[in-house]
Amino acid sequence: MGLKSLAEQAQILLRSRLCNPNFIFSIFSNSPDSNYSKLKYMISSSVTEACNNSVLLLGPRGCGKVPVLELVLEDLLKEYPDMISVIKLNGFLHSDHNCALKEISRQLCLEHQLLFSKMASFDDNAQFMVSMLRECGLAHKTILFILDEFDLFAQGKQLLLYSLLDAMQSVTSQAVVIGISCRLDADQLLEKRVRSRFSHRKLLFLPPSREDLQRLLEHILLLPTNSSFPHEYVAAFNDKLLKIFTDDKFKETVDSLTYCDSTVNHLLRFLFSAVSHMDLKSGLLSLENFKGALSTIQRQPKVEALKDCSILELYILVCMKRLEAKEQELRNFNSIMKEYKSIHDTFPTSDYYARNVCLRAFEHLLQRELISFEDNRGHGQSTEFRPVKLLISWPELYQGLKSYHSCPLILHKIMDREG
Amino acid sequence: MGKEQSPQVNRRTTRSSSSTTPNSKATGEGSKIISNTKSLTVNDLVLSDESINLEELINSFPHRRMQILELIKLLGPLNSPMIPLFVYGGASTGKTSTVLEIFKHLNRPFIYSSCVTCYNPRILFESILNQLLLHRKNESNGYSSAKRCEKPSDFVNLLRDALSTLIDSLKGDLGKSNSKKSASQVNGKMIYLIFDNLEHVREWDKSSNMLPFLFNLYDILKMPEVGVIFISKTSLDTYHSDTGYVEPFPVYFPDYTEGDLRQIFLKNQSNPKLYSSFLDAVLGPFCRITRRVDDVTNAISPLYKKYCELLDDTGVIPNKDMKSELYRHINPYISQSLKETFHVPSQPTLEASASKDKTKRKGITKLGVSESFDKMDFHMSTCAKYLLISAFLASRNPATLDASLFDSTGGAGNQKRKRKSSGKSMEQKESKEQELLMKGPGTFPLERLLAIFQCITSVAEYSPDDEDPQIDGQGADGWDSGLMSDVLLQLSSLCSSNFITKGGSCPLEGAIRYRSAVSEDMALKVARSLKFPLSKYLYRT
Repeated sequence: MGLKSLAEQAQILLRSRLCNPNFIFSIFSNSPDSNYSKLKYMISSSVTEACNNSVLLLGPRGCGKVPVLELVLEDLLKEYPDMISVIKLNGFLHSDHNCALKEISRQLCLEHQLLFSKMASFDDNAQFMVSMLRECGLAHKTILFILDEFDLFAQGKQLLLYSLLDAMQSVTSQAVVIGISCRLDADQLLEKRVRSRFSHRKLLFLPPSREDLQRLLEHILLLPTNSSFPHEYVAAFNDKLLKIFTDDKFKETVDSLTYCDSTVNHLLRFLFSAVSHMDLKSGLLSLENFKGALSTIQRQPKVEALKDCSILELYILVCMKRLEAKEQELRNFNSIMKEYKSIHDTFPTSDYYARNVCLRAFEHLLQRELISFEDNRGHGQSTEFRPVKLLISWPELYQGLKSYHSCPLILHKIMDREG
Repeated sequence: MGKEQSPQVNRRTTRSSSSTTPNSKATGEGSKIISNTKSLTVNDLVLSDESINLEELINSFPHRRMQILELIKLLGPLNSPMIPLFVYGGASTGKTSTVLEIFKHLNRPFIYSSCVTCYNPRILFESILNQLLLHRKNESNGYSSAKRCEKPSDFVNLLRDALSTLIDSLKGDLGKSNSKKSASQVNGKMIYLIFDNLEHVREWDKSSNMLPFLFNLYDILKMPEVGVIFISKTSLDTYHSDTGYVEPFPVYFPDYTEGDLRQIFLKNQSNPKLYSSFLDAVLGPFCRITRRVDDVTNAISPLYKKYCELLDDTGVIPNKDMKSELYRHINPYISQSLKETFHVPSQPTLEASASKDKTKRKGITKLGVSESFDKMDFHMSTCAKYLLISAFLASRNPATLDASLFDSTGGAGNQKRKRKSSGKSMEQKESKEQELLMKGPGTFPLERLLAIFQCITSVAEYSPDDEDPQIDGQGADGWDSGLMSDVLLQLSSLCSSNFITKGGSCPLEGAIRYRSAVSEDMALKVARSLKFPLSKYLYRT
């Protein structure tokens, strides 16, 4: 036992932290003008003043909208234990009106220990929801409707939104509708009658700034000092980690990570990979872990696919590129074969293969998604006649050929000529 | 094909085969009653009874050491939560088998479902729920699933319930039998969901909803005891979505290089030195075409038999002279085999090629291919054959030529003497014709097809027809009217067997257009069987 299982325990702790978004975003709940406090103030004032309200939480995916909301709800449920009941809906699952009402009724029944019948019809569910709203309003209990993926509810006829917001207009009901969406224009998607019933409150969630990022890293990765881990181990772990944080190379790594995607989710995946590769003998994280994690998370799929191609497939790609350069309108398998033949007439090589072999290589390229059919309609025609297009750009193709280990010289010559 | 095949191809055992074998071993009653009546336990969620250690695992997948270690590290120690993983790579690179063998090694319970066998959402949901609820479809429940589930909302609710009960039972088991740990006991209290062949989901009907739903499943469930793994042939950037989804963590399986393939094929060979000299000769040319393991295996296994023909004793280790002699022997067969497309011969053709060898044909017999290229190998009625030829002609020739090719005498119109055109316009005509050929078969309306059919069949009855002797007796009218009634029936059966495809209707004309889907070789075969002069009717300058 000893150090190995200690390192494993530390790894398990860090991994569970990384997979638990509520923990991650609890750090942002301290300051008074954060989204957390604004949201909390808004909901608690609706609950205490017994009024209706609606708000939209908007921001790119992975910026903490749902975790912050969950933290707020946790706190509110502790403060006002019997005055809130929560209904959670998701746009992926419940964008259909029937499904949504069924789910609302099911959750209401679950919360208030009533019997839910799956056979209940749509009208029954609708009536049930309306009467529950009235009853809860009379009992001074607020119902919170949380609509995740709000933009999916705004597709189609928006019946659910209308019925919810309309039910909120009556005096007796007490409900708060919270919509969460990654589309920043989600409120523009609403119909006129829905939008007029909607209060235009929006909270914007943005990716963290540099200082926030630093605080976040420390919050996640530093082991807690008052835990079951032995004191020396925790001190050694945290010291090494703080030294890494001040290292320039580490800052470079994090910078290049956040250039393409600065959301918290991306950072969490990067940290997950680094933590999983932690050296279990020493039990400490090192700079190599972070650098290795960066290379695994930043991938170039088309370049990888190109490296996997065989030489015949490279020929086909180069022929397609030549056809594009010649601006030929008809680019299908037959015209590629014609180009292939003409290449071999000018530079005779041993790489001239029969038509059916080339067709098979063509199909492999289609599977790899380096080329694709131009239209989806033409299912009536066979593979040889449907027009295709290249999905890889010329510079990428050029680079790929240059780094291919045994690429025939002819292809290099042709690519150089095309420029 | 046992030893020569690389281990990846036949490694995967199905769940039912691995779970029925312990049953039949345990219940030694030898009853012929189907052992499916024994109910499933949690132990059946693990791949099999025996576990393998890490060294065995790495050795059984040559050149996958990095990927195996990466996956094991990402799966992490027992009972640690995991972000969703996305394993991707080309075809037959060993993704599925590696993942399943890793779970066998770690002895952790998992639920496997492939999006090829579960081809729509309902079947996928029900298959996962059946496995979680330890339900097996058999006679007693009428081969029905445990729960009926069509919509994602129902699926999430049922999944949550099923997962919680299963995890509770795992936790209970763990507490109870901590003292005696048998090898078949599952490890840990986490359950992993594996979705294989994810790229097929893109072609489903509701894929715009289904794909983001699957990727976000982990976030929707919010259960840290569940791990999700996706396996796909294409990379993550080929999954398009309007509003994006939570991205899983990518793990890449590259294709094998030529050196890797060599090592894979040398595994489990009875005579490695002989096989390695064989690979020296053969592997290079094939790897220029493709490096997929299954393709190359199918191509070189018949060649190895040919290679060993000269040797009396296949256990011998070849020296330099023998190697060059064997190489000379095999060389012509290599170039022959390169022209084919690595297809696996079915049993009848193997026997036919054996009989062909006996007939001692001159020249090199093709390995494993025995179709005679001038005869049709299935039967069609005469009317259908004529219809097929008419469709081919209608697709191939432009409509303006019909009048000259099929005139009222019914024969190919007497070729009028053409004006001698200059060389350049001849070239232009040829290139235009080539373009027309390359674009593919054209569409035609039903009336044109029937008109050509009428012309052709009216010619045919005047020519001596030794296939159907009855026709000579009947008059021309009788044959025609007898044929016309089921022409439309024949046309619809040709359409449903994809000899003729039905296109959408043109908005201007409003009628349905058809397109012929047979190649020229096939049409020539059909015409030859009717003794019909097809070449006279083809549009050629």
